[in-house]
Amino acid sequence: MREIRFHGRGGQGAVVASELLAQAAFLDGKEPQSFPFFGVERRGAPVTAYARIDDRPIGLRTSIVAPDVVVVLDPGLLGTTPVTDGLRPGGLLLVNSARPPERLAVPPGVYRATVDATAIAVEHGLGSRTMPIVNTTVLGALARASGVVSLEALQRAIDRYVPSRPRENRAAAADGFASVRLLDAVVPPERLAVPVAPGASPTIPEGPVATVPSRSIRTAAWRTLTPEIELARCTRCNFCWKYCPDDAIELDAQGFPRIVLDSCKGCGICAAVCPPRTIAMVGLEEAA
Amino acid sequence: MARLTLPAQELMYRGHAACPGCGPALAMRLLLKGLGPRTVLSIPACCWTVIATPFPTTALGVAVLDNPIESTGASISGLRAAADALHLPDVTVVGFAGDGGTADIGLQALSGMLERRTDAIFVMYDNEGYMNTGVQRSGATPQGAWTTTTPVEGTRRGKREPKKEIMAIVLAHRPAYAATVNPAFPEDFVRKVETARDVRGPRFLHALAPCPPGWRFSSEETIDLGRLATETGLFPLYEVEEGVYRITRRAGTLKPVAEYVHRQGRFRHWTEEEVEELQAATRAGWERLLRREQETAPSLPPPTPPIGGTPAPA
Repeated sequence: MREIRFHGRGGQGAVVASELLAQAAFLDGKEPQSFPFFGVERRGAPVTAYARIDDRPIGLRTSIVAPDVVVVLDPGLLGTTPVTDGLRPGGLLLVNSARPPERLAVPPGVYRATVDATAIAVEHGLGSRTMPIVNTTVLGALARASGVVSLEALQRAIDRYVPSRPRENRAAAADGFASVRLLDAVVPPERLAVPVAPGASPTIPEGPVATVPSRSIRTAAWRTLTPEIELARCTRCNFCWKYCPDDAIELDAQGFPRIVLDSCKGCGICAAVCPPRTIAMVGLEEAA
Repeated sequence: MARLTLPAQELMYRGHAACPGCGPALAMRLLLKGLGPRTVLSIPACCWTVIATPFPTTALGVAVLDNPIESTGASISGLRAAADALHLPDVTVVGFAGDGGTADIGLQALSGMLERRTDAIFVMYDNEGYMNTGVQRSGATPQGAWTTTTPVEGTRRGKREPKKEIMAIVLAHRPAYAATVNPAFPEDFVRKVETARDVRGPRFLHALAPCPPGWRFSSEETIDLGRLATETGLFPLYEVEEGVYRITRRAGTLKPVAEYVHRQGRFRHWTEEEVEELQAATRAGWERLLRREQETAPSLPPPTPPIGGTPAPA
């Protein structure tokens, strides 16, 4: 059995990627399984999805803690999410990144691969420049780097199950297959599944368990529009501060507002409630 | 610096995992501004379980206990007993549950907590559906609203049943204090939280919490829609202390409910007739509330006898 774990952000198609992979494996004559982690499926938020592929029916129904393959759809997750947790020796880490695979930090004995899926997806017009849909490109790369599924089955699955732009998605998968960069060699499939001893059961500490304030989490990547305040016309009414659901506006000593850009998700409430209309929501490329 | 109309302390931290424009996130921020740091929150499975961010981070600067979705009422009864046993009378125990965890799955625990006269606050943040799991209908979903489980296709026109009246259910338990709050009116919201904090006995807050993805509107409209909900009379702001009703925001004339309805995708399929039906029901509900306020108004206290006995008739 091969266990594959996907890490992405809401909207990038990580859940659909795991489903497509399972459908492709089924077309290859395998017994697949696919399901998402139940959690934060918010636009822009980190998302995890799982796939299992075996020659026999799979009875296991648990989330994957010791994957053979980890696929990361957004390189921004590498700094914030422990994506390689449990990745087995002899396993593979595949990341959507323009960088060479040598730059990836992995546990000992893990193979590395990168594919510039963002560039390929944009080239094929999949998603927008701010939110490209990279899942089919990454699956093409996965087919070549891991051998868990054939490119042919993957393209048939895309034809069958991708409702919009199947032709572009098929081409993107082929480009991903052709351009994936592997460190060392193509991982022979038989080297993937190395059994590991199950870990000791975690101990539950007495006392508070979650004590790190979430202020350190940057949610700026969720944003597609950025508020800009014309302070010259600001009346210091505090409405923007009062109504911000993300606590992303601070008031300075004079009472003028300042947007905390690391945390602002770009909802636009501040601009909508500002009585003198001094806040404009601008596109990311126009924003300074 | 201009005077703030709300407490400055932020006990809900940025970096949380709520959707852009989240009504429940703003409701939590305002709630904690009113409650202050000496608070224990009990949160069942709901959007806020996820919003509060994964281990080891937290978006909440107060003590939090996670509990199963049906258990909030029982959980805060236990927390109150524990706080009393530890001689912590200044700790406010608060349950914070969604409409499913309050009015549907959490209803018996809520009823038990109210009936036991638990000295705690139960807050229902009402986003009118099971939004965390992807927009399924709840008992608090309004009649005629689209959800994934009340689709609009063929002869099906969204949810068939009317919204459950949680305030009526709660008030039947004679709580020490109950109020409706709306994050679009933050000063009223925080004042009621502060009032609730200082009352002893079972207390309840019904917080409207507009949900951009679930109600199908754009994230910057959360406050506008919240205002409209109250200004149309659909979500009147009032409080009930020891049985006495008091309306805390009285509009001269109610705005037409159409203004609220037409800005949400979940009502997109509505005909003029459906809007008219809601208009009539809303007007009737508002008038009923006005009557309640009149009926329960404390009668004027008897005139104090003047010092020195009854004055001679003029």
